[in-house]
Amino acid sequence: MSKSRELFGVATHGIASRKVRTLLILLGPVVGVAAMVGAVGLTESAKGDLKEKLASLGTNLITVQAAGSFGQQNPTLPKDAVTRVGAVPTVTKASAVSNVDGVTVLPSQGADTYFQAIPVPVLAADKNLPGVLDVPIVSGRWLQPSDSGTKSRAVVIGSGLAAQYGQLPGEIRTITLNGIDYGVVGVLGPVALDPNLDSAAFVTQYSAKHDFATTGEPTKMYVRAAPGTTQATTDAIPTAISLGGTDQVTTKIPSDALSAASKADKTLQQTALFAGILALAVGGLGIANVMSISVIQRSSEIGIRRALGTTRSLIALQFLLEALFVGILGGVIGAMLGVGIVYLVSGFAGWVVVIDYGKMPLWIGLAVGVAVIAGLYPSVKAARLEPLETLRLG
Amino acid sequence: MAEAVTPEPGGPLLELTDVSRVYGEEVQVYALREVSLKINAGDLLAIIGPSGSGKSTMLGLLGVLDRPSEGTVEIGGHDTGTLDDASRSRLRGDSIGFVFQQFHLIPHLSAYGNVDTALLYRGLSKSERRDRALHALEQVGLGARADHRPVQMSGGEQQRVAIARAIVTEPLMILADEPTGALDSANAANVMELFAELESPDRAVVLVTHDHGVAATANRVVAMRDGRIVDDSLQVPQPFRGSE
Repeated sequence: MSKSRELFGVATHGIASRKVRTLLILLGPVVGVAAMVGAVGLTESAKGDLKEKLASLGTNLITVQAAGSFGQQNPTLPKDAVTRVGAVPTVTKASAVSNVDGVTVLPSQGADTYFQAIPVPVLAADKNLPGVLDVPIVSGRWLQPSDSGTKSRAVVIGSGLAAQYGQLPGEIRTITLNGIDYGVVGVLGPVALDPNLDSAAFVTQYSAKHDFATTGEPTKMYVRAAPGTTQATTDAIPTAISLGGTDQVTTKIPSDALSAASKADKTLQQTALFAGILALAVGGLGIANVMSISVIQRSSEIGIRRALGTTRSLIALQFLLEALFVGILGGVIGAMLGVGIVYLVSGFAGWVVVIDYGKMPLWIGLAVGVAVIAGLYPSVKAARLEPLETLRLG
Repeated sequence: MAEAVTPEPGGPLLELTDVSRVYGEEVQVYALREVSLKINAGDLLAIIGPSGSGKSTMLGLLGVLDRPSEGTVEIGGHDTGTLDDASRSRLRGDSIGFVFQQFHLIPHLSAYGNVDTALLYRGLSKSERRDRALHALEQVGLGARADHRPVQMSGGEQQRVAIARAIVTEPLMILADEPTGALDSANAANVMELFAELESPDRAVVLVTHDHGVAATANRVVAMRDGRIVDDSLQVPQPFRGSE
């Protein structure tokens, strides 16, 4: 134990007492690791905003629509589709909406000429929709069971429609759906994964049935899967809905497109990574080179240590340890430098910094590996020195 | 692992029997030819001879830095020729203290660090090493300069650090190679006084030199010429009076 501590002391002193030489051989691992950390960090950070968005939206939302067969307009899902989908164990939440066709939505009376030209989709929704979409109500509230009546007709509008109508937060106002007055009770926040909903008006199934005579069959479903099961859940949903029957459905994971867009440019990343590895390899040659020269310069030190009883293997270990420390030190400094570069460049470019700190041990380990391999030859060379030759006796 | 060597006082510490050292393969040159020598505890021995007489080769063999081509080198009854490198290294570290003409101090270490180097890898605690190294430096009169580096010291002081390094392990034999060769006469006298003080019935001090002034301080003189011992005689030690 004390032997390894002593060896440790000798090796650290060997590095610390030759600052210029140590600085020179540190450059290789520092530049190499900084290049690798920077390469990965910068290419990932360039897409950092998309990654951040993806992380906040989640990748487990699935949309389900009926697949229309030829000649069939407005295909619908079975009425109990939500219940059927709920039978899939990995489904955590589900909500369905029904298209309510042929409704003219107007923000106020007398505005017909302008707003009629902009068709507003009207959807009959259940109480779970905002929860499944994971979208907040930015103003007011969502539809609730007490809205199911003819006395108080309630509508929630999408954030895009609210902007179009000049809806102010908290404003009490009435809009007309096919001439029937509906009170706007809330505004749904922006739905990044299905922007169509931003321009829609939402009413209860009750209103849809009574005022617009719909059948109440869902046209689209939103389903959340348990983490990590999105694909499996997506695969299971068509069977769960059709139950062996003829109902055909199509499923989509709306985050897929975003996820693809947020992927870093792999070619660029690999090119930069290769440059980093090259720098590290060249750095390794530098270590081998400088250490070999150092062994010659320190031949007298090696000779005297051997004369004082240090064995060949301890001499080799001493030099190998010096190489190891250079690898660790260079790796750590390089990693910090790389992170610094990523923050600096991202700061200027306005990127969201993405750094995979879990990979740091890999980069540093790579530097350590290169340094130790580079240190092998000089270490063996040092161990083979004959004290009799280096001490120039007589 | 070499066994610990504990010779009897006055008994042979080191014994060369019919030792030859040959260099070269096709053309063989005998640097040492059939040399036999016993070094006893209590010896203050000078090995003297002109250059090319085989002194350096002798030093290498006595210091377990080299192996004989023929014959045996025994330390405390153990044949060093049969030991592997690690055992020879330990035997060297435990039994022999070296002093060189060029001092061979490690430049980036302080005087203390240089002396401490000899105590490494022996399982000593740090405080034990510190006590012993400082004590050795005090013995050579450099206790106050423990933190100085070799470049901050005169040649004589550097050689005294080297002597401290040689005695700190309490070796059986101190092997000095032209210890005054790089020193002016005042410093040389100082260093030779130290060697005279090192004489002890528990150990041998061997001075390899071509300097008769140095040899005169010894109680036994072995003269060499052309790879052979030509004379081995006891004498009354004279104080060092500068080199000739």
